Amino acid sequence: MSPEPARLPLWAFWLVRVQTALAVLAAAVIVAFTVADVVMRYGFDRPIPGAYDMVQAMLVLLVFHGLAAVFDRRSNITIDLIDHLLGRRGQGVLVLAADLVQIAALSLLFWAMLDPAGQAYAYGDRMLELGLSLWVVWGFALSGVAGAVLVALARFSADLRQGGRA
Amino acid sequence: MAPPVLGAVSVGVLFALLFLRVPVWAALVMVGFGGNWALSGFDSAFALLGTTPFDTASIYTLSVVPLFILTGGIAAVSGLSADLFRAARVLLSGVRGGLSIATICASACFGAVCGSSIATAATMSRIALGEMRRAGYADSIATGSIAAGGSLGILFPPSIILVIYAAIAEQSVPKLFAAGLLPGVVLTLLYILVAVVMAHMRPQDQPVAPRATLGERLRALRGPWQFLALFGVSIGGIYAGVFSPTEAASVAVAGAIGLGVLSGRLNRAGFAGAVGQAVRTSCALFAIIIGANVFSSFMVQTQLPTLLADTARALALPGVGVMALVIVAYIVMGCFLEGIGMILITVPVFLPLVKSFGYDPIWFAIIVVIVVEVGLIHPPVGMNLFVIQAQAPDVRIEAIYRGILPFLLAPLVLIIVLLLFPQLALFLPKVIYG
Repeated sequence: MSPEPARLPLWAFWLVRVQTALAVLAAAVIVAFTVADVVMRYGFDRPIPGAYDMVQAMLVLLVFHGLAAVFDRRSNITIDLIDHLLGRRGQGVLVLAADLVQIAALSLLFWAMLDPAGQAYAYGDRMLELGLSLWVVWGFALSGVAGAVLVALARFSADLRQGGRA
Repeated sequence: MAPPVLGAVSVGVLFALLFLRVPVWAALVMVGFGGNWALSGFDSAFALLGTTPFDTASIYTLSVVPLFILTGGIAAVSGLSADLFRAARVLLSGVRGGLSIATICASACFGAVCGSSIATAATMSRIALGEMRRAGYADSIATGSIAAGGSLGILFPPSIILVIYAAIAEQSVPKLFAAGLLPGVVLTLLYILVAVVMAHMRPQDQPVAPRATLGERLRALRGPWQFLALFGVSIGGIYAGVFSPTEAASVAVAGAIGLGVLSGRLNRAGFAGAVGQAVRTSCALFAIIIGANVFSSFMVQTQLPTLLADTARALALPGVGVMALVIVAYIVMGCFLEGIGMILITVPVFLPLVKSFGYDPIWFAIIVVIVVEVGLIHPPVGMNLFVIQAQAPDVRIEAIYRGILPFLLAPLVLIIVLLLFPQLALFLPKVIYG
């Protein structure tokens, strides 16, 4: 048992860093594009075409690639009401069991998202104003969830090796 | 199994999973998917599961969630929140209970920029708790005023909870922001009233600080201008119809960064920490919203909300009676569940019921936020109380529980006022948006 998080393997550590960097970049693009659109609209009466689509696409990038850091740091919201009834070991077991449910749910999401992503590619749909292919945005989502599954697995196995983490 | 029965059983399974420490998002996804599978077959449930995450993460309105969280984070690390507290402390010097009132006022203002209750409580604990203890304030009243003031963060615009409610209840974000303003002001005044009454009942717990000079007071007024500018431009811009909520949030982020850099108080480490925290908090929230959307599509199919409404009518319950039951249910759940999770689980069930009795969904949003606030500060599982204890481990949890109890009266009084006078929430949206 250890209150400190176990160290992730190097590949998972870098995966979290890269995915978080992508999420931060997406947030920066949302802010920059939206502020620029406001300035152009009110300052020069020339709004930036596609700003709305850009925010949507970047939000998808932010949400799905930010998940890796959430799973790495165990930032998901949980109800720890019965923790005080269990010993430290009991808590650790419960956390790892909940991890398995979580990894199963995340993998299920990834599997279910493959089909609509494939359809977006097959039909060649595009975002209305930006003209960006929808499958690219689906690619942001799928790669983000895939990375989150890998990081969740790495976190689970690292904590399991260390004897569970409450 | 009849769909409503399946719905009721599934809610039980959901709660069991939550108590077994399964993260809220995963419990919602699993139960929602399982329920949809049982009702509509695997293919239909699987197709819904495949599209819901993408559809949810591309909702334009929800882009304000990471942006306002980031604004609050940057404002905190830039010391803007400390400026607020310092100004309020100097202005209220010489008043018994002045530091408690200053904490509540600074929390209300900080909440009006960051929109998060926990962030407000954590920030104000760091800033105000040490100062109050040094001034001789009892731990109970010091932590009570921080916890109570912190809860204001989710009622004042830009409340993150109201944005999420807007997404799942298909309501207008600007209207909800307008609806939260007056009840937020009233609740702030009620908290101040509690602090003043407590100061006079137990003066030894809240000593009077030496009175500041006029010059000191005038100088103190200069401190929080940056905060007022951020709030005025972003939230004022929404009310004035100049910005959409996403535009206002982006302008607020850019403004907070600009002010932090210009004042020389935003360093690289602080900025990186605020951004990382904002990403993690937002994505954890989005995961729950995705789960809630899967779960609510199942709830709609079970017709459980319709059954609840029919049952209430069959029992000839009046609307107020139904609302009272709903509020009691929320307060009881708030003792055990985290606020946003509770909203996402319950709104799909309760909102149709409440609407069928003629209540306005905007008004209901404000009621829900206030009962969530009660949950945030209600022992034994008030999140704000734990946040404060995490910041000050030497304060006993019993002292924190004792300190918050008198403040719990304030939101309960506000709920009664809102039940009697719904216009308190509905007046501003009507005036501004017609």
